[in-house]
Amino acid sequence: MSVLRGEGPTREIAARLEHVSKRFPGVQALRDVSLEIAAGSCHALCGENGAGKSTLGKLLAGIQSADAGALFVFGRAVHFTSPREALAAGVAMVHQELAFCDNLSVAENLCLGRLPTRRGLVDGVETRRHATALLTETGTILDVNGRFGDLAIGHRQMVQIAAAVGGGARIIVFDEPTSSLSQVEAERLYALIRRLKARGVTCIYVSHRMPEIFALCDTVSVLRDGALVATRAVHDLTESQLVEMMIGRPLAEYFPTHGPALVGDEVLRAEHLTCPGHFQDVSLTLRAGEVVGLAGLQGAGRSEVACALFGLEHVTAGRIFIRGSGARIGSPQQAMQFGIGLVPEDRKKQGLVLSDSALHNASLPTLNRLSRFSWIFRARERRAVRSLFDRLRVRAPSMDAVVAGLSGGNQQKVVLAKWLAARPSILILDEPTRGVDVGAKAEIHALIGELAAQGTAILVISSELPEVLTLAERVLVLREGRLVGELPRAKATQDSVLRLMAGLAS
Amino acid sequence: MHHFIRRIVGSQESGLVLVLVLVTIALVVLAGSHPDRATGATINNFWNPNTIVQTATDASFFAIMAIGATFVIISGGIDLSVGSIYALSGVAVALLLRKLGPMSDITTVGVGFATCAGVGLLCGLLNGALVVGLRVHPFIITLGTMWVLRGVAFVATKAESITLPTALTAFTKASLGLRGGLYPVPMLFMFLLTVLGAIYLTRTVMGRHIFAFGGSLEASRFAGLSLARIQIGVFAASGLTAGIAAFLGAGFYGSASSGDAQGYELYVIASAVVGGASLLGGKGSAIGAMLGALLIVLIRQSIRTLHFDQNYEWIVIGCAIIIAVVVDQWSTRATARQLSRAADNVRTSA
Repeated sequence: MSVLRGEGPTREIAARLEHVSKRFPGVQALRDVSLEIAAGSCHALCGENGAGKSTLGKLLAGIQSADAGALFVFGRAVHFTSPREALAAGVAMVHQELAFCDNLSVAENLCLGRLPTRRGLVDGVETRRHATALLTETGTILDVNGRFGDLAIGHRQMVQIAAAVGGGARIIVFDEPTSSLSQVEAERLYALIRRLKARGVTCIYVSHRMPEIFALCDTVSVLRDGALVATRAVHDLTESQLVEMMIGRPLAEYFPTHGPALVGDEVLRAEHLTCPGHFQDVSLTLRAGEVVGLAGLQGAGRSEVACALFGLEHVTAGRIFIRGSGARIGSPQQAMQFGIGLVPEDRKKQGLVLSDSALHNASLPTLNRLSRFSWIFRARERRAVRSLFDRLRVRAPSMDAVVAGLSGGNQQKVVLAKWLAARPSILILDEPTRGVDVGAKAEIHALIGELAAQGTAILVISSELPEVLTLAERVLVLREGRLVGELPRAKATQDSVLRLMAGLAS
Repeated sequence: MHHFIRRIVGSQESGLVLVLVLVTIALVVLAGSHPDRATGATINNFWNPNTIVQTATDASFFAIMAIGATFVIISGGIDLSVGSIYALSGVAVALLLRKLGPMSDITTVGVGFATCAGVGLLCGLLNGALVVGLRVHPFIITLGTMWVLRGVAFVATKAESITLPTALTAFTKASLGLRGGLYPVPMLFMFLLTVLGAIYLTRTVMGRHIFAFGGSLEASRFAGLSLARIQIGVFAASGLTAGIAAFLGAGFYGSASSGDAQGYELYVIASAVVGGASLLGGKGSAIGAMLGALLIVLIRQSIRTLHFDQNYEWIVIGCAIIIAVVVDQWSTRATARQLSRAADNVRTSA
């Protein structure tokens, strides 16, 4: 555990919130939260999705403003109405939807708003020099001439952080920064955060990933339903105590046990599948009632294999057999006819029509079953979706609520409902719990077990190795588009799988 | 009952209806009145059957086209060729009926309708097939076919205006028992097609798919929808409604030429957008499109009724379109807030 803790009780306070409340239509996001964040510390904000932790971060960074209460930054009362004002006071936020221009170079992005000019023209040399200096300050080495949009997510964050520090930020809010990073990228980010801390930058770390909180943070504040539960020093807590504070219930309830899986017949067999540029010579089998994990680093071709099985990637060689007979899967429609369902990696882009209601999203792939001659039986549709939502415990103001307004966990449940409705015999889950809180995650894990027990063949893809290891009976490992190993549950350990993923000799 | 009222107030079109009612009231109040020649009774210059039906009839031609165009706009596309499809359909029916010579009234009307609808549908399918097959944005494809189709009509007619058999005029100008000078048929077609369009969009699988397609192409792909069919379908719908409008218009005005409906595409798109359709896709309604067309015609009408300088017509309409869309956005946001507050109360009391 970190030993770089405060120099005593007289320590400076970087940010203080007094009785802050914030309300959104339909949700009390924060109620009467009072909190102090010590300068130079790494302070975690955690809680389930919808607990208000991101909102708190956004208030500090001027992205949203509080309805009531007061905010002090380095002892000065502040009223931010924009991120620019917050940055002027020394607060910045790093999050995925940050406004950077994909079409411009890294250097141009870093200097945007104050591009150096010479005789009225942009001074390219100076722009690059300044950008490189900003990046070096945070210990990042990157080609500043590359297009920002071409960077991997991890590198984009590095650029954002460099921009924040270069803009004079002394408090940086990280909003679930590792939710779409690979293991390697995450490690790089941790190192950067430690460097920032060493330089006296205060980090506010919004996350619900336990290992990160324990590795990086000094203090943790737990929020539940918009209210502050407690603020504690991290070293005084155990992981399970923290989870219990977050969910407000003993942990045991959240990890239901299901009996050993009864593995049935082979339902899907893929032989030597090849998709140029993505993966080569991939062979795998799925059996009824069996959960198979597919592990690999990001870019190893995991999602592409999933898409190929669902008819979304064009396969140039290899064959697929469904229940023993050859199947040509050229489109998702055909895949669905063979009983395959796919919960895609990116729920906001691929999983949901964000402008549509939860009801319409959930019934989208199965409308043909809920209609005759194209006429939708709306009462039947509602009943079907209602029962799925009840089963998955979807929390939404109503089924007609637009999905864009739901929390990440509930959105993911809507995507799951969509495919449960199709009653697939083969279900592929690509990152089923990304950006989902602890409670919803456990519920989704329980659901996967339940589906397998009912005889569904399941392929789980996840960047979180512990998730693959808990769920899967068998783990397949992809590296650079090739299947490099298959480990039964007994042999699949964090170490053995990681070695295969990274290509290290065991 | 309370629930029913809330549904009406909360519906997408409520803001537009409010604007329509306000404009109508303003017109009624400001229009003044004149004495009836026969009876001597006082008649409002706007609020009389003649002006009302005439306004609706004026609106019906592009209201009908706007319903189809709304399909395209909900899917995230745009159809600039509807005016040209209208012209080509009208010209096609005129040429065909001239060639076939005299027939019974009912056959003339039947052949006329089938030709217009058929030509419109084919043009729409062509647009759709080009968009899907060439993977070019609908704006470009329909910008091209806008000129090509009108050009075809121009060449086919050798630039002359062709008169249509009286049977067609008799059909589209049937008084249906109303007093002389009132021609309700186009208006009735407008209502009928609005209802059909609304049902198609909100109650059928294909309609649902159009919203999904416009809302998120990727998510629709991952949900296993047949994207090509949806996209070709919306253009077919747009072409079909343009063909039907051409049938009514050609009959109504008694002739067809390649220069008909020039610039209609912009009225049509304006109607759809004023009616709440979002050019980003995923949002829109058939009823809104009709109301949008009505509002635009009403504003044009008001210039005449109130004896404003006709030269200002375009300026007024342009401003009105922008104002209508802005007001609609406000009211949508306001009702969304209201609904979520209501939902909130339900939850906290539960």
